[in-house]
Amino acid sequence: MGRLDLLSGNRAVAYGAKLSRVQVVSAYPITPQTPIVEYLADFIARGELDAEYIHPEGEHSAIAAAVAAAVAGARAFTATCSQGLGYGFEVIAQAPAYRAPLVMAVANRTLGWYWSVAADYSDSMTTRDLGWIQLYVESCQECLDGVIQLYKIIEDERVLLPGMICLDGFHLSHSSEPVDIPDQREVDDYLPPRKLYRHTTDPTESEGYVFPVIPTRLHTTYRRLFEGVMQRAKEVIREATREFSERFGRGAYGLLEEYRTDGAEALLVTMGSMSTAARRAVDRLRNRGVRVGLLRVRFFRPFPSEELTKIVEKGGIRAVGIVDRAVSHGTSMGPLGTEVASVLYAMKDRPNIVNFIAGMGGDDVSVSDFEGMVSKLMNTLNKDGVRETVFIEHRVPLAKPSVTFKDVTYCPGSQLCSGCGAALAVRHVLRILGKNSVIVFPPNCVSAAVAMHFPSNWVGVPCVLANYAAAAAYARGLQRAYKYRGKKVYVTVIAGDGCTADIGLQSLSSAAECGEPIIWINYDNEAYMNTGIQRSGTTPAKAWTTTTPVGPRWRGKKELPKDMVSVMIAHKVPYIATASPAFLRDFEVKLRKAMEVVEKGEGLAYIHVQTPCPTGWRFHESKTVEVARLAVLTGMWPLIEVDHGVFRLTVKLPKLRPVAEYIRLQGRFRHLSDEDVAEIQELTNKNWKKLLDLDGKPLW
Amino acid sequence: MEAKEDYPEILTIPVKEIGSEPVAHWRVMKPVIKYDLCRKCWVCVHFCPEGVISESEEGPVIDYRFCKGCGVCANECPAKAIEMVREV
Ligand SMILES: Cc1ncc(C[n+]2csc(CCOP(=O)(O)OP(=O)(O)O)c2C)c(N)n1
Ligand code: SF4
Repeated sequence: MGRLDLLSGNRAVAYGAKLSRVQVVSAYPITPQTPIVEYLADFIARGELDAEYIHPEGEHSAIAAAVAAAVAGARAFTATCSQGLGYGFEVIAQAPAYRAPLVMAVANRTLGWYWSVAADYSDSMTTRDLGWIQLYVESCQECLDGVIQLYKIIEDERVLLPGMICLDGFHLSHSSEPVDIPDQREVDDYLPPRKLYRHTTDPTESEGYVFPVIPTRLHTTYRRLFEGVMQRAKEVIREATREFSERFGRGAYGLLEEYRTDGAEALLVTMGSMSTAARRAVDRLRNRGVRVGLLRVRFFRPFPSEELTKIVEKGGIRAVGIVDRAVSHGTSMGPLGTEVASVLYAMKDRPNIVNFIAGMGGDDVSVSDFEGMVSKLMNTLNKDGVRETVFIEHRVPLAKPSVTFKDVTYCPGSQLCSGCGAALAVRHVLRILGKNSVIVFPPNCVSAAVAMHFPSNWVGVPCVLANYAAAAAYARGLQRAYKYRGKKVYVTVIAGDGCTADIGLQSLSSAAECGEPIIWINYDNEAYMNTGIQRSGTTPAKAWTTTTPVGPRWRGKKELPKDMVSVMIAHKVPYIATASPAFLRDFEVKLRKAMEVVEKGEGLAYIHVQTPCPTGWRFHESKTVEVARLAVLTGMWPLIEVDHGVFRLTVKLPKLRPVAEYIRLQGRFRHLSDEDVAEIQELTNKNWKKLLDLDGKPLW
Repeated sequence: MEAKEDYPEILTIPVKEIGSEPVAHWRVMKPVIKYDLCRKCWVCVHFCPEGVISESEEGPVIDYRFCKGCGVCANECPAKAIEMVREV
C-alpha cells in the first residue's frame, strides 16, 4: 500500500519520475516547471534516487542531453515549457526518429508572443504533429500516475517513442492535492527496468544504431510507417492504463474519460485541469435537468477518434462544445476543436459544433463560464449544421498608474525584492545612460519586474524583450538599424549571469567577435534568481542553490564558476570591466568609458557587476551593500578593467580582508566547513597575486 | 453580440511619462532619519536600492510611498543617523 501526502502537481511529477527510477535527468529552469527538477535534484542529493543529473546551459541542450541519454539506453527524463520548449523545438522534432523512449514533462505555459507565466497550450500544441505521445492530465494524482503510465507505454516495443506529460502551469503545477504515492515495489512490478533494444546506441553490446537521415524517396513511406506506430500505440495505451487502474485501484484511465454522458444531448469536450470545473458545471446542470455530459481527452496524440465516435454515435448527442486552451490562428478554431470537428464531420448526422476558446494565458475558466458555454450549446439545439467559435473573455480595464513621473529614465515602485542589489545597480545604469538609450532585456528578475507594471513601466526608455538565448542578437539588430538611420542611441543589454554565462553566451560571443558597438551589463547575482535560485555558470563553488542542494550526497555546487572576464578577454573587445554597487564612483567611470567606446563604434563593451541578492544568497536585506563591499575587500570580487587590452586593478587593496567575513554573512554557504573556507581563501590569494602581476600590463 | 472594442489593437507603453504603484505596504520596518545626527554625506541617497531618498537643506528626505523598508540606508549610514522602527 502506498501513502497519502499533499503534493503539488510538480512534486507529484517528480515522485512519478523517482518511482519510475529515472536514470538520467537533464533540465533547465523555467517557470512553472522548475520545481520538478528541483525536487529531483533534492532526491538525488539526499540519496533517495540514484540518477545522473545534467545542468546544461539552455533547453536546446537540456532536451538534447535527455534524448541522447535515452538513445544510449538510460531511462531519461526532462521537463520544460513555453519559451524553453520553443528553444528546444528542433531537438523535440528530431527525437521521435531515434525511437528512444523519453519522458518530458511540460508544465504548460503560454508561448510568447505576449508573455505570461501561466497556462495555455500554445507551447505543447506546437509539437502535436511531431510524433510524440501527448498526455494532458487533470489532477495531481494523475501527474504522478501519468509519468509511470507513460514510461510503461513508450517503452513497450510496439511503441518506442518519446512521450510528453502536460500539466497546466500553476493550476496544477503549483496547487496541492492529497496524492496516493504508491510503494516502490508496486511500481517496480508494473514498470520493468528499461530494456536495451537492437537499435540502442551502445558500442559494447548493440547490433546497430539509428542515424536519422534517409533518402528523399523514403520519407513519405517512413511517415506512413510512423503513423502506423502512432495508431498502434492506442492499443498499448488502452492496455497500459487499464492495467494501471487495476493494480493501483484508480478510476478508469484510458485515451479519454467520460463523465455523465448517459442520456446526454449536449457534450462538453475538454482537456487538462479545467475539466474539474467543467465536471462541477455538469453536476449543477444535471441537477437542473439539463442533459449535458463531459468528455475529457487525456491523450491528444495519438488522438482517440474511435472512442469519440463511439460515444457520440451512442445516440442522442446533438451538440458538442469543444473547449480549447489554444488557438490555431487563421482558422478561427483551436487544435482540439479542429480535431473533434474532423471526427464529427465524418458522421452521417453530425451534431452541432461550437468551439470555445478559453483560459488563454492562464485565465481562469470557472464553473459559471462552463454553464454559460452549455447554455450557448443548448441554444443551438433548434438549429442544424451549426459550426461556430466563441471566445470566453474576462475583460479588465487598462488603468493608468496612480503615481506618474515625467522625463525620467527610472522611477521607483518596481517589484524587485526589498534590498535587491540588482535594483540598486540598474537604477544607476539608467541614470548614467540617459534618455537616448534602448534597453534589451532578456528574461530575468529585472525584466520580469518591468512586465509587472503593465501598461506602464518604471523604466523611462524603450525596452525590448529579447528571447533568452538571443539577447545580443536583438541588440545587434537594433544598433544596426539606428546606425543605418543615422541615429545615436546607446543599445544596452541588461542581462543576468544566466543569460551571459550560459544560455546567451553563444549570441554574446558572436556579437563580441563581430565588434558590434553595444553595451552588455551582466548583473551577476550568481544564480538564476527569477526562476527561484538555480545554479548558473557563475554560481561560486560550494554554494547552495536549489539545483545544487546540500545533502548526504551533494554539498552545493561542485565546480568553479565560469570566468566571464577571461572569456571576454579572449574576444579582445575594446572595453571590459567588473563593477560593484558598493563602489558607485568606480562603476560610473566604467560605464561612461563603455558609452564612449560604443559611441565611437569601436566594438562591444562588457561590464560585469556583482549584485548581491538577499533572497538567493540568504542574508538580511539591509546587508546588500555591505556584502557587495566585502566581496571587493576580501578579493573575492576584484574590481578591474581591460581598456583596449590594458589590464588594470581599479581598486587596489594594500591587504585583503579574510574571505570568511564575506562567506559567513551568507546562508548559501552555511554548510561550509573551516577547511572549505580555507580552500576558498587560498584560491582567492592565488588569484589576487595573479591580478597584481597583470596590473598595468597589455594583454594583447 | 459583438463586444465593443475598447482595447487598442497594438498596445504601447509610454516613455515620456512613466509611472508605478506605491509599495509602502511591503514594509515591516520603517527608516526614520535623526536629523540631529545626520552629517549630510548622502551615502543613503546613493545606496538606496529604490532611489527613494533625496537631498534637502535639512538632510535626506524619504519618499515613504516607495520605500520597501530594506534598511540598507540605516546599515550604511556612517553616523548611525537612521533608525529602523517597526511599523507592523
Ligand atoms: C529559453 C528560455 N528558457 C528559460 C526561461 C526561463 N527563465 C526566465 S528568467 C530565468 C532566469 C534568469 O536568470 P539570470 O539570467 O541569471 O537573471 P536573474 O533572474 O538571476 O536576475 C529563466 C531560466 C526563459 N524565459 N526562456
Ligand atoms: S531574487 Fe534577488 S536579484 Fe531577484 S529581485 Fe530578489 S533580490 Fe533582486
